[in-house]
Amino acid sequence: MNESYVSLLVLAAVALGLGTVILMLNGLLGPSKPTASKLDTFETGNEPEGDARQRFSIRFYLVAILFILFDIEVVFLFPWAVLFKDYVAAGLGTFMFVEMAVFVGILAIGLAYVWRKGALEWD
Amino acid sequence: MNVMFYVAAVVAVACTVRVVTHVNGVHALLYFVVSLFAVATIFYLIGAPFVAALELIVYAGAIMVLFIFVVMLLNRGPQSVAQERSWLNPRAWVGPTALSLVLAVEVGILLFAGDLELETQTRVAPKEVGITLLGPYLLAVEIASMLLLAGLVGAYHLGREGGREGGREGAHREPGAGR
Amino acid sequence: MRPLSLQLVSVVTVLVGVLTLAAGLIWLERRLLAFWQERLGPNRVGPAGLLQPVADAIKLLAKEDWVPPFADRPVFVIAPAIVFVTVLMSFAVVPITPGIGVVDLDVGLLFFLAMTGLGAYSAVLAGWASGSKYALLGGLRAAAQLLSYEVFMGLSLMGVVVMAGSFNLRDIVDAQRDLWFIVPQFAGFVVFMVAGLAETHRLPFDMPEAEAELVAGFHAEYSGMKFGMFFVGEYAGIILISSLITVLFLGGWHGPWLPGWLWFFLKTMLFICFFILLRASLARPRNDQLMAYGWKVMLPVALLNLMVTAAVVLAVGD
Repeated sequence: MNESYVSLLVLAAVALGLGTVILMLNGLLGPSKPTASKLDTFETGNEPEGDARQRFSIRFYLVAILFILFDIEVVFLFPWAVLFKDYVAAGLGTFMFVEMAVFVGILAIGLAYVWRKGALEWD
Repeated sequence: MNVMFYVAAVVAVACTVRVVTHVNGVHALLYFVVSLFAVATIFYLIGAPFVAALELIVYAGAIMVLFIFVVMLLNRGPQSVAQERSWLNPRAWVGPTALSLVLAVEVGILLFAGDLELETQTRVAPKEVGITLLGPYLLAVEIASMLLLAGLVGAYHLGREGGREGGREGAHREPGAGR
Repeated sequence: MRPLSLQLVSVVTVLVGVLTLAAGLIWLERRLLAFWQERLGPNRVGPAGLLQPVADAIKLLAKEDWVPPFADRPVFVIAPAIVFVTVLMSFAVVPITPGIGVVDLDVGLLFFLAMTGLGAYSAVLAGWASGSKYALLGGLRAAAQLLSYEVFMGLSLMGVVVMAGSFNLRDIVDAQRDLWFIVPQFAGFVVFMVAGLAETHRLPFDMPEAEAELVAGFHAEYSGMKFGMFFVGEYAGIILISSLITVLFLGGWHGPWLPGWLWFFLKTMLFICFFILLRASLARPRNDQLMAYGWKVMLPVALLNLMVTAAVVLAVGD
């Protein structure tokens, strides 16, 4: 138990330290010549028009919600998946299989619903 | 072990304070992610690695991304910072802070007076969590799937209204075409 | 419990190994692409061009460390470090041989999924913090793509978990002593590989940085070593996905005659080269095609794979 968290911490510390050092080294070694054209956003050589602070389509929001819902579904699948063999060995296999089939089935209905309604069309 | 716990706890509390006090939405959310990370570390230290991993996957990896995503989609820029700043005047936060302090004192008294065992020597393996979840709470798991289904349908209908209003010309409309 | 010195040695070995391999990959990818396109590729710096990555690193370090005035400074600086750190952290749970590996976590697989999830912040935040339209579009695409494929990635591995009965990657390798999981879990393997490509936003799934339409997408405003950080993160990500395919589907260190670490290395290299071949041969799909493909093909396939695996385990077990 002690072993694992010390190694993890060391790795985290080294990775963070390495990242910081590399980024700082660049600041030390690189030149600094702020010229006028660098102050604009890059727009393939044209004069920048407007700024990047504008709203976006709601579709992206739907993707994020779908993601969260299915991520939580996967979270419920984790303990079931890791235990399934034990349940089979204990003779509870069929019961647990049906249980999870119902669980996945209910979500599959949801997926079918949004699919049918066209929420998965990124037209 | 104890030192680790207190370090993680201080990080968690400090980050959470910054979440509330920060005026920039995305910066506040980043503090929130770090705070969740600290809480996951605490879970790991007190012997609950499965919960620690889920904390990272669901909260830090999923729900926070959704928040940042929404902040990006609304994309208010400087006005929202000004608005946040106006909300953070003392009148707004003195009351809740005082009440939270009362709670904090209570927790402090409990921690130092009671014989709370911090270092639990038992380590809850992922399988044990599953045995409990899929044993006594099996029905709750099935009900959770209903809840997720409701969320799925609800999210679609909430998202649709906005989608119709803004037209259907594409998943990634150019910024110039924004409403 | 291993002594502290030995733990430190394994941490350093893994880090140095991954970073050296990532640098070597830059050379390997350019040479292989050149070979498939009947060119020579970089062959001037050092023997056969092997020192090219070193030259690249020096060049990037000597570039201006530029933070644009319109960018959100702290987030702009943190974003490239996030992918670097999360990918390196993921290697903690990868068992190379029974003896080599940083930690032996009970929740190893979940730790990897958590780190992948956190890695998504890198591209999203970089796109947001840059304050440029191309970068913002790239960031949004990255968010949609990485989030979606994260789900399929987790789901595709559940079949493996059902068969091995553990999240511990060592146990998973041990469970493949007789039969590599690529055979019974072929569908899971394919979904995981596609999701892995999408998660590392490698070609052909590099819509967040598609140079033809978004110039460089989320890292359009980045230069110098901050840009280099994204690059190293991407290459380390390829190594990570390849080594995880090795661990989860190809029996890790198991193999006849040769020592375990060599088997691990060979299998990992095979997939790295395969990913480079994919880059050389496939065109980039449209963003909406990728999303639709994920939700309409990958998700049902992963769910079906899981239920079929469970049914088979049940049938065999009874």
